[in-house]
This record gives sequence, structure tokens and C-alpha cells, in this order.
Amino acid sequence: MTTTIIWTIAIITILGVVLAVVLYLVAKKFKVEEDPRIDEVEKVMPGANCGGCGFAGCRAFAQSCVEAMNLDNNFCPVGGNDTMKKVAAVLGLEVKEKAPMVAVVRCSGTCANRPKTNEYDGYQSCKVKAALYSGDTGCFYGCLGCGDCVAACQFGALSMDPETGLPVVDEEKCTACGACARACPKRIIELRNKGPKNRRVFVSCVNMEKGAVARKACKSACIGCGKCEKACPFGAVKVEHNVAYIDFEKCKLCRKCVVECPTGAIHDVNFPSPAVKPALKPAASEPVAAPAAKPVAQPAAPAAPEVKVSAAETGKKVEPEKKSEE
Amino acid sequence: MKTFSIGGVHPDDKKISAGSRIESLPIPETVYISMAQHLGGPAKAIVAPGDRVRTGQVIGEPTGFISAYVHSSVTGTVKSVGLRKDLAGIPVVHVEIKTEPVDEWADGIDTSDTLVTDIPQDRQFIIDRIKNNGVVGLGGATFPTHVKLCPPPDKKAECLILNGAECEPYLTSDYRIMLEKTRQIVVGAALMKKVLGVSRAVIGIEENKPEAIKAMSAAVSELQKSSADYSGIEVQTLKKKYPQGGEKQLIDAVMHRQVKSMGLPIDVGAVVQNVATSLAVYEAVQKNMPLISNTLTVTGDCLPAERQKNYLFRIGYPLSWIAEYNGGVPEGAVKIISGGPMMGKAVSNFDAATLKGSSSILYMTAEQTERKLESSCIRCGKCAEACPMGLEPFLLNKLARNGMMEELEANAVQDCIECGCCLYSCPAYIPLLDIIRVAKGEVIRAMRARTAPKK
Repeated sequence: MTTTIIWTIAIITILGVVLAVVLYLVAKKFKVEEDPRIDEVEKVMPGANCGGCGFAGCRAFAQSCVEAMNLDNNFCPVGGNDTMKKVAAVLGLEVKEKAPMVAVVRCSGTCANRPKTNEYDGYQSCKVKAALYSGDTGCFYGCLGCGDCVAACQFGALSMDPETGLPVVDEEKCTACGACARACPKRIIELRNKGPKNRRVFVSCVNMEKGAVARKACKSACIGCGKCEKACPFGAVKVEHNVAYIDFEKCKLCRKCVVECPTGAIHDVNFPSPAVKPALKPAASEPVAAPAAKPVAQPAAPAAPEVKVSAAETGKKVEPEKKSEE
Repeated sequence: MKTFSIGGVHPDDKKISAGSRIESLPIPETVYISMAQHLGGPAKAIVAPGDRVRTGQVIGEPTGFISAYVHSSVTGTVKSVGLRKDLAGIPVVHVEIKTEPVDEWADGIDTSDTLVTDIPQDRQFIIDRIKNNGVVGLGGATFPTHVKLCPPPDKKAECLILNGAECEPYLTSDYRIMLEKTRQIVVGAALMKKVLGVSRAVIGIEENKPEAIKAMSAAVSELQKSSADYSGIEVQTLKKKYPQGGEKQLIDAVMHRQVKSMGLPIDVGAVVQNVATSLAVYEAVQKNMPLISNTLTVTGDCLPAERQKNYLFRIGYPLSWIAEYNGGVPEGAVKIISGGPMMGKAVSNFDAATLKGSSSILYMTAEQTERKLESSCIRCGKCAEACPMGLEPFLLNKLARNGMMEELEANAVQDCIECGCCLYSCPAYIPLLDIIRVAKGEVIRAMRARTAPKK
């Protein structure tokens, strides 16, 4: 009995030693020379392996950083400037600071703004839905509301608002990796500058239909009227294909466009107070705007702050515009 | 009796409107003629608002090799040329025409009813007529017929197959034309036989249409007595099984040959055309009549018996107008389908205009269309048994949900014909087709992208 145990232990120990030597020799012989800096760079990476940088994972990104001459084309959106500074320190390179970004949902087609025209009972996936038809509302361009973006987000930053039927971005959690933007078949989600104190102004609509058609489908659609383009003193707003777009590099957050927008398609977020039409100061500019705005739009302006327009208000406001459109 | 060798399902065929004779629809006040009525590049509108058009006049010219002419289906004045939503709600260029009650036909069109049985001997003449009259495949895919009838020189056609299977439940338009336009269809077959230079043409009809088989057989033997051009045409009775009308399934059923993955019917020497296409070819070649009309079934379980109809419509009539003429959307209809219940598309925009390939307005009840709650796959293999392409839908579903593109391609997702047999047979109510269809599109795009730069 004891001899069996002793023999067993002895044989296994000898086997172990012999195999360890073989393994050691093989490892020596076939050793892959790798730049040690890759490991160092990988250590400072967030390790989310989200693919937001465009590489297969954090290690692939680290490798590309080590091989690159400069870091102009490499940027980790999750780690941001801090991580890139660390990477640059490891590699002894210079890094340009980039403004932090955030995912922005450019659709305000809530259930109230955008009535359903039909019922979708197929598989609940935006990808499947988009492949079948234009969607269950009159808007061909808007959010389909099945939450592909929510499923794509690794950081739990997106959620569907059951009341509006639209996705909501949690700014704290969003790392701007862009997975949601890629998952959205309608290309509604855009990565935009986070802005100073997280303040942003953007056009929350991508409908390229003509004004009358767009507004028939959705009360808060951009109708491409171009008022915002005229109002912007910095040339940041461009209306192309019946839809306005605000260039976040040029936008100075003055919010002149927000008050001009007749449908409330331009949103401003994280501002302490709502945008108010400069009613008193520039008396000269008032009459210029008046003929285009038509009488009904006037009374709302001076008294109450009116930027986050509710559906009912928007409805009232858009009425006279509709006539001028047609 | 012949049928295809693998898969297939047996849905209740419900040919409720089979007894209703084809009725001509009157002309509505306004028609909207789509420029994308065929596979391939949409036609380019060549009319402008204010132009007066005559019936049968060209209003859209083809763009590219795979494309087709579009003709005006009415006489009237063009009101606008612009984007209008099709039945899936997607904006497409339409020509809006304010109609006049009396047709003024374009030059050179024979509008008489006389049957012309003499087959022109000039092959090019037949092809030109088919092309200039905008004939496209009316079996569902609306592939331009002239392209299909001119196979590449290294491929040799051996057999023309006419698809009279009409395997989709409810639809009866092909059945009615086989009864009422029997000889025209046979002449059309002889014309296509001439173009292809084949000696054999088989008209495949499912066993549930005995009258059509009888009528077609009689017409074939009658015409065969009159001229040698009709020799080699035969009628083949097929067992009732869905999707018999699928191109690859029909070739398997008739010729016992299998088209390989991503291959075309011409690879095995077959050319498949629908019987409605054959009728359109007859009209185009013998009468110089453009493809501006087709037969459409209005049916559904909730539709009263006297309103089950087969209509001869012209392209551009709004579907809602046809429904209104028929007596309105019936009580109990919750879903409207254009096409058959298996492969047809749910209509999200009922004001959409009819196209060359429109085949039905089908009203479905809540009970019929209700999606039951999806449960887990139990690997019963019913979907794999039902798949007529020999795929494994349960596996493709899993792979697609996990985005495994290479494995999807290796498991031949690109061969899916979207017949819906898997979804129909799944006891767990898994939306197999919904998921596989999207994956198929992505894989085919990836395959094209891979081969494109090499060219």
C-alpha cells in the first residue's frame, strides 16, 4: 500500500520535472519578441474592449499606438484625454487634447409629437423593422423605438423612456464609444461635443422631407425653414436637404436659434434657465423677424419663458406656419 | 405526381375567390405611377407636369442594364412628378396623372380581342417588343423579362418552365387567367420558347387547380395542331406543396435538377417565367400592348362571399381606391397584405399605388395575424425539415442573434428564399424569418463587398 503511494508520488514528480524542463526549453526556443511598451500601454487603458477606438480591443489599440509615429489618429473615447496623456507619457509622444464627446439622440418624435399610423407586431428590433418598412409612424427618418442602441451599449448609458418611446442617454455613463450610433439603422444618434458644463444645442431631427410633409408626420420635426440659419451669428447652422444641422465646432451656445425654431426641433440641454427671446434689448431686430413669424407666434415671446415647449403648445404654434408652408 | 424533393409545408390553400370571373376596374380620377416597379434601377420619369399623356405612352425610361420602361396606364394630364410613399412607406418617385374617362391609345397598339397565334420568326423582334413594352416577371420579384430571356452566351437554356403553381394560399389571379386567357398564355410560352431557342416548355400547375390543368392541356393540344411552333409544350401536374412556385423548387419538381448555392436557374439550363408574365409577353409581342395592367385578387376570410373578386387593374390605381370600389375594408380586418399570406408584404400605407407586380389585397383577421409569445428553441428540427433549401433555420437564428457572420455564410444563409416555411412550422413561435432575412441581407452585402474590388 505505502509503496504504491510512494511510487506514484515519485513518478508524478519526475514527470513534472521533465515536462517543466521541456516546456522551459520550448518557451525559450519559440519566444515571440514583443515590444514591452505594448503591455505598459495596455495597463493604462480602460480595458473595456468596446471597439470605440476602431480597433478590435484595448490590446490592438495599444499595439497600434506603439507602432504609430504620432497619436493624431489614435484616440480612446472611453478613457478620454486622461488616458491619452498616460499613453503619451509611456511612449514619449505628444498628444493633442480632444474635447469630450457624448451620444446625442436626434429625434424628438415622442408618442405625443408623432402619432402612430400603423401597428408593428414583428420582431422587436430596429434592424429588422427598418429592413421591412418605414416604421409605424408617418416619419421615415425617425426613431423606430425598438432599442437596438440600448442593447448595443456596454456601459448601460442608454435606456428607453417608456413615455416618449425614445432612447435617453445618461451623460455620466456615456463614454462616446459610438456603438449606439453604429447600431442605429436610421443614423439618428450622433457623437457631439459634450460642451462646456455639458451645455449643448442641437437639432433634434433628421427628417429630410419637405416642411409640410415632415410636420404632418411629426409636430416637432425640422421643417427646414432656415430661420435658425439666419439667426445664427456664427454661421454654425446649415440647412441642407430640408433639415438644419448645427456644427458643434462653430456653435457658441448663444441659443438664438432655439428661440427662433417654430417647431421646437432645436434642443438646448443643461442650461440653467430656458432660452428667452431678446424682446427688449435689440428693438431693431424685432420687426425684421415679425413678418416671417406671423402674429400668433408673437404673444408667446415676451412674457413667458418658452423653450421646452410641450406638445400642445407646439401644436398651437405650428398652426399658422403650416399655412405659409403650403 | 411530381414535386420538389426537400422541405415544404402544406398550408390550407383557401382559394375562396377562385370562382369569381375577372372584372375590369373603372378608371379612377387620379393615378400615381411608380417609377420603381421592377428589380434593378428605377426608371427615370420623362414627363413633366402639364404634359398630356395617352394610354400606353412611355413615361419612364430604364436606367442601366437591369431596368425597365414604364408606361402610362391612362389618358390624362400629368399633375406632378415627385416622391410618394409606396406600400412600405418608403418614398419613391411617382408620376401623378389626372385621368380622362375615355382612353386615347398611343400609336401602334392593337386593342382588339382577336387572338394572334402566328409566332414571329425574328428573335430580336420579339425581344425588342418585350423590352419596349416594359414586361417584367409577375411572379413576385418583377425581374425585367428581356434580361432573363437573354442568358449569357456561355450558358445554354434547355427548358422553359411556366409557373402556374400559385402555391400561396388565397391568391387566385393566376388561376383565373389560366381559365380565361388560356390560349394567350400558351402563345406567350411559344414566343419565349422561340427567343430562348429551346425545344421544351413545361407549364407546371398544382393539383388543386384541375380546371386550369384541363383548360391549359386542351389549349396546348389545340394550338399544336395549328402550327409547329407549339410543339414541345406540355402541361405538368404538380403535387400541392408550398413553396412549389419558388424558382429553384419548380426546377427541382419539373426537371429534377438542383441549382447550386448562389447559382441561377440558367446554370442548370432552366428559365422560369410566371403564367402572368407569359400573358404579358403575348400582349407585348402580338398586340404591342405595354404592361400596364395585371390581375389582382381581393380576398380574405372576413370578406363577404359576394365581394371576393378578381379584378383587372391598371398600374397606378391606389390600393385604397380599389378597396373602396370593392365596398371598403371589411369588418374584422386588422392587417392588409399585398401578395400571399406567406410571402406578401403587410401594407403600412394603404394609399400606395398598384404596381406591375401587384397580385392581391388580402384582409387578415386578428386571430390569423396574432403573434404568439416567443419561447425557447427546443431543437425539434421542424424548421430544418420544412426548409425547402435544406438550411437549418434554428441554427441560423442563433448565429444571427450573435452576429456571427462567417458562420452564417458557412451555413448558407444567403440561399434563404424567404418563403417563411420555418416560421410557419415553429412550435415555439420564434420569429425565425424576421431574423434570418436581415442576416441574409448583411451576408450578401459582405460577399458583394468582398468580390467588388477584384473586378
